Amino acid sequence: MKKTFKNIETIFNKSLNSIETFIQSHPKVNFLFGALFEAADGLIRSTKDTAKNPPFIRSSMDVKQYMGGILVALFFGWVVPAIYFYGFMCVVPKLIVSFVVGVFIVDVLWVILAREERINEGGFVTCLFIPAFLPPQVPLWLIGVGAGISILFRNILGGVGHNLVNPALFGRLMLTICFPTMVVSGWQEPFTGIPTIESLMYGVDAVTHATPLIVFKETGEVTSYLSLLFGASTGSLGETCRISLIITGIWLCKKRIANWRIPVAYLGSVFLFAALFYLILGKAMVPPMFQLLSGGLIFGAFFMATDPITTTYSQTGKWIFSIGCGFITVVIRNFSPIPEGVMYAILFMNLIGVPIQSIILKLKYRT
Amino acid sequence: MIEKKKNKKVYKKGLNLLEAYPIKFSESVVFVKYDGPVDNFSFPFPDKKVEHIIVNLCPTEPWALPTRAILKNETPDFLNKLEAVRTEYFPDSHCHVVVNHQESSLVNEAERYKSQKDWLSIHTMEPVYPYDTPVLIVKNILGLDIAFGQNTIELGILLLDPQTITGIFEYYIQKNEFNTRLIPISGTGLNENKILKVRPGTPVERILETHVKAGIKYRVFLDGPLNGTEVEDLTQKIDWSVKNIVVLEERDYKTPFPYLKVNKLLFTTSLMGELRRCVYCNFCDDICPVNLEPALYWHCYTRGEKHKARLYALEKCIECGLCSFICPSKLELLHVIRECKS
Ligand code: SF4
Ligand code: SF4
Repeated sequence: MKKTFKNIETIFNKSLNSIETFIQSHPKVNFLFGALFEAADGLIRSTKDTAKNPPFIRSSMDVKQYMGGILVALFFGWVVPAIYFYGFMCVVPKLIVSFVVGVFIVDVLWVILAREERINEGGFVTCLFIPAFLPPQVPLWLIGVGAGISILFRNILGGVGHNLVNPALFGRLMLTICFPTMVVSGWQEPFTGIPTIESLMYGVDAVTHATPLIVFKETGEVTSYLSLLFGASTGSLGETCRISLIITGIWLCKKRIANWRIPVAYLGSVFLFAALFYLILGKAMVPPMFQLLSGGLIFGAFFMATDPITTTYSQTGKWIFSIGCGFITVVIRNFSPIPEGVMYAILFMNLIGVPIQSIILKLKYRT
Repeated sequence: MIEKKKNKKVYKKGLNLLEAYPIKFSESVVFVKYDGPVDNFSFPFPDKKVEHIIVNLCPTEPWALPTRAILKNETPDFLNKLEAVRTEYFPDSHCHVVVNHQESSLVNEAERYKSQKDWLSIHTMEPVYPYDTPVLIVKNILGLDIAFGQNTIELGILLLDPQTITGIFEYYIQKNEFNTRLIPISGTGLNENKILKVRPGTPVERILETHVKAGIKYRVFLDGPLNGTEVEDLTQKIDWSVKNIVVLEERDYKTPFPYLKVNKLLFTTSLMGELRRCVYCNFCDDICPVNLEPALYWHCYTRGEKHKARLYALEKCIECGLCSFICPSKLELLHVIRECKS
């Protein structure tokens, strides 16, 4: 068994090598497909680069593993629970559309046209985000548009390492601007109970119900915390099952892929500010525990705000960044007609990140 | 007590290389014959008054000479040599011997020896790279700040390599012949990790001759792959300052499914990933032993503002190379730092 695998691998490796030499020896082919091949090859094989400058050994962690970790966490954090709650046929087509449009159309075209070297794994992460913060009943084309906008936007900015704001959130913002009614309707009641084949495939009948935050805005009714925690309440596709998001989020922090400071400071500050407003202004404010467990906050705190490149580099800056996020989230939820503020908070703080960073540096290295 | 705690906090960073890359040397020491011209031992005695002698018996790099090869289970014997050297040449100095806190038998033996002597103190240290570099070891033991690259003699501190102590003792005090040095060789390019007895002056080629794996490409490094130098020309001769030789396999071809074969790529010169831009992952400032933020230098460098890097405490960097080692984007941070310094 092991030997056959080894043989197949050798043949596979050799054929890839010969394709590579073929492409490189034909300039025209190289112009059209060179970058594409490089990109696909980069996902299968390691690079042949070796260290030219000291240190001559390097740790095995690279950006691919880094992004791979986020993908795994997202998969278990929201894809698996979402299949349970809304059915296979609701979740998987959305993912396929998001990936096909985002990675296979926009990214590949970009690679060919702009002659970038590689398809970045960062694009996968973005595409996995898109369906997660849209309602379960959103039409497929909207997801396609969202993924397209996000990937295009991140490619224009320059991909991993250049992003000013989180591209997935930017895509969501554009959708909110262009199709304001579609992204805030179609909140489907999730399935609960013992799953059957039928429910895993198709979910339950599409009964729609407003999200807990909207319900609170309209009637002041607080949904039970337990159903919020385990995902038995309405909400966007990927943000309802908070317990799994918390577990995978903590795993990410443990692996040091997500910086633990951000979720801690974000959730902590949301709780504190919410408690403050609740104590001062009374019942009209959203109560603190409800704040923590509703909307996209957990998802945003563990997965969106921690997107490394869009925060500040300095660790102190990360505290300020996330406390800012928390403050804006609470303010939007309490004092504006929009029920959910996580997206605006993170986008806004992403932009503020640059000045925060330079101020912190000035203070820290003041001589 | 408070002082100690503070130190710990400042230097809690670093990397336990001994755990990350465990290297086992074979027990026996092999002598390398060489008939060509060899260098004779000589020690440049400092002309300044020496107040402190620091002897490091706690190597933090796995490819460094293990302490047992020098002590040979006769710790008091070694310490006697140290005493002889001290009384003869540095009578007013105080000796600090640094030992690994995990080797409890060695610690006990040294403590027992010390109880009769007041010129000696024993310090224990965690074997975390790069705690044994001059800047950090002086800071941890004497609490003095020295700059990177500064000669410690100016402050009256002498850092002695254990082998040099034996050398001074044999050659200058006993007037014996002393012309061999223990050099450990290790790495993925070798059949076996060995400790060799070499006459300085022997070419690297001659030393590695029978030990290198057949049919692979390899590269040779003196003093470890992290902050050592690469040997370009294998006819280069070993001198008295060489501490160890590391031979690494050069995998300059693509490996399919690298995620399944991390072990094969580990401890080779492979970059294990591709060059990207900085993703602000904070790995580099978490690992930096002197609390710098190396990514800042990289940002300055790519923006073409090398001079600005100096604003961010660049001079504190001890060039240990850990930041480049850990960076998932495979940025050449150490190279950038050296460029910015120049
Ligand atoms: S090389 Fe310099 S900046 Fe990098 S980890 Fe070492 S001391 Fe810190
Ligand atoms: S380790 Fe590399 S990628 Fe991470 S912050 Fe430092 S320079 Fe940037």
